[in-house]
Amino acid sequence: MVQSKKQKYLFLTFCLLPTFLLFVIFTVYPMVNGIYLSLFDWSGMSANREFVGFENYVRMFNDEIIGKAIYNDYFFVVTKVIGIMILSLFFAVALTQLKVKEAPFYRVVFFFPNIMSVVVIGILWQFIYEPDIGLVNGLLTSIGLESWTRPWLGSMEWALPSLVVPAIWAGIGLFMLLLMGGIMNIPKSQYESAEIDGASEWQQFWKITVPLIWPQIKTSMIYIVITSLNGSFVLVQIMTNGGPGNETEVMGSYLYQKAFEDFQFGYGATIGVLILILSLVTVLIMQFVLKREKVEY
Amino acid sequence: MNNKKLKRSLLSVSALSLIALAGCSSDDSSSEQADNSNSEGGVSGELEVQYFVGGYGDEWWKSTIEAFKEEYPDVEVIEHSGPNINEEMKTRWISNDPPDVVYIDGNGANETQMINDGQLMDLSDWASDLTFEGDTPLMESFISPAQEVDGAVYSLPLVFDTWGAWYDSAWFEAEGWEVPEDFDSWLASMKTIQSDAGIEPFITTGQYPQYFQRGVLNPAFAAAGGEELLNNLSNGVVEAWESDEALEIMKKVQEIVDAGLIDEGFAARSHTQTQMNFLMHETAYIPVGFWLPNEMANDTPEDFKYGFIPTPMNDSGDAMALVPDIRPVAIAKEAENPEAAKAFVEFMFSEERAQAFAESTGAIMNLKGVDLSANENVPEFLKGINDLINNPGTIEIYNRAQPTGEEMEIAVEITNEVKARSVDILMGKITAEEFVKAMADKSRELRGE
Repeated sequence: MVQSKKQKYLFLTFCLLPTFLLFVIFTVYPMVNGIYLSLFDWSGMSANREFVGFENYVRMFNDEIIGKAIYNDYFFVVTKVIGIMILSLFFAVALTQLKVKEAPFYRVVFFFPNIMSVVVIGILWQFIYEPDIGLVNGLLTSIGLESWTRPWLGSMEWALPSLVVPAIWAGIGLFMLLLMGGIMNIPKSQYESAEIDGASEWQQFWKITVPLIWPQIKTSMIYIVITSLNGSFVLVQIMTNGGPGNETEVMGSYLYQKAFEDFQFGYGATIGVLILILSLVTVLIMQFVLKREKVEY
Repeated sequence: MNNKKLKRSLLSVSALSLIALAGCSSDDSSSEQADNSNSEGGVSGELEVQYFVGGYGDEWWKSTIEAFKEEYPDVEVIEHSGPNINEEMKTRWISNDPPDVVYIDGNGANETQMINDGQLMDLSDWASDLTFEGDTPLMESFISPAQEVDGAVYSLPLVFDTWGAWYDSAWFEAEGWEVPEDFDSWLASMKTIQSDAGIEPFITTGQYPQYFQRGVLNPAFAAAGGEELLNNLSNGVVEAWESDEALEIMKKVQEIVDAGLIDEGFAARSHTQTQMNFLMHETAYIPVGFWLPNEMANDTPEDFKYGFIPTPMNDSGDAMALVPDIRPVAIAKEAENPEAAKAFVEFMFSEERAQAFAESTGAIMNLKGVDLSANENVPEFLKGINDLINNPGTIEIYNRAQPTGEEMEIAVEITNEVKARSVDILMGKITAEEFVKAMADKSRELRGE
């Protein structure tokens, strides 16, 4: 039976409209409203607000903490992309190619942090880093490296790197599964013929695995960038509250402080616009840099 | 034009959450208006009360509302309460449909912001006629006076909260450690404890440096230069930060740092973590507000006895300084039942309610002349504090006057700068000279000088 055009469009509308409406209400509207509110001096607590044009933007460009927050955000982005990609790729290859008997078990274990709330992860790692009773300092002491112990989250130099570790730890599982899906789709015959041709495992990895799962790698990297720019503030908020001083402040935590603690909602919205713009620009650049011809063997 | 439309659509979106959060209060207002008629000099109708539930719990509020209902049976009190109530009620305030009475405390509530935004009722005339227990005018019965903004009073100071230094008096007694009265004896005490117990005797949360600012610096500023210096420094007056007093105070802080008396991991710890350390005798002094015993009630060891002193940053011979952190109660400008709201606020300020407050919260209401000594249910440390407050001499009370308008914005930024620099100096990253210079520079920048 051939569907009439009308029927087809009706069906499409039926499928798309609810999602589109939800998207408009919960994504487009808040975004547009956020941009709109960034033009106001508003406490966020009352009906009074004053239009101030680009005053908030001028202030933002002169705010030294913004510069620090942007640096910290990109520190997260870079270290997370490198850390998560290397580790998740390693585990994905290990669990699919190396014929580990307990692979299903590890798959579940590595995915575990993903089903845990970020809040729980933050508190858990706070205990791990605890200066007196924490695991890290305990381990260092037990292997005779007592001089290396320090209050990790309370150190100006080490707080930021210390926050990256749980962020990477929590991210591995999801991307490992994504990459494993890609690897398992590669026909076994390709590895077999490569082996017959005398290619080492290392060569197989670079010449077969990586090119064929490139779309998954690219998606993972972009996803890490976006979630990092938007979401790293949760860990910061829980583990260090932006401290010590402003050392671990990221754009999200600074936005929160301004909008909800200092009652400068308009300025908070301005920082939100900055996050939006930086995220878009970063993703566009990445799309361009990571562009590769689609490979098929 | 667009403004209205957008506002309306914003409201409709927030309506979803509003219905869920405050559904019971969205009764139609026409019937409410009709109910509000004063019958025979009494008050009636619905009264909406918003109160934050934090370290002090909600026992006092519940019992106060019960007692109020007995005296005013025609008033139906609708409570909006909880630890997140300020967030939950935000949409009501934004849409100009606030509750009648609001207790301003906790995250997301700020009296200065509410006054700035014109959300609170001017209580000046009404409050000046109130009396405490029938004799003295209420406005003269406060420990810390009601705050005046441009000559008007927008809130009544309900809870007398203040920051100071806590110690375990049982432990101090057992070890024979003296309780300090000024900076020199405090420094000596900390050094003794350091060598006796082998601990770093001072801790404060580095995650929330406002504990150090309000618990140590503000009393120090007040002790050195009274309310003038306290307010000028907090408001970012350049000359104040360039003064000798400011430098002297920061030098005292540096002395504590240089002597290695501060917990090494303080910057990593939250307020609850530092408080746990304090309870476990890993440190001896901690600057926190009055709510500490109540907040840590479940974790306090049995033999632990809370002792409280105004943070001894004063020079010897000077009085110790307390800077109250008052939690006020106010009536919304747009209150739908102002008569009931006034009756309820007036009802709170009585001897009976003040006794009940000390019993259930372990803190005191902001009223002079309430004798707690005979009340068995009030903790000992509180009786001591209450006595000190009512018999001035050894301690002085200094009030921080919150600025409004643009000055408020400067004060917010100054607070943020003090917090950041406090961590720096406590970690030994900067000196006292660098601290006051950074603050003077920031003040200059904020004032466009």
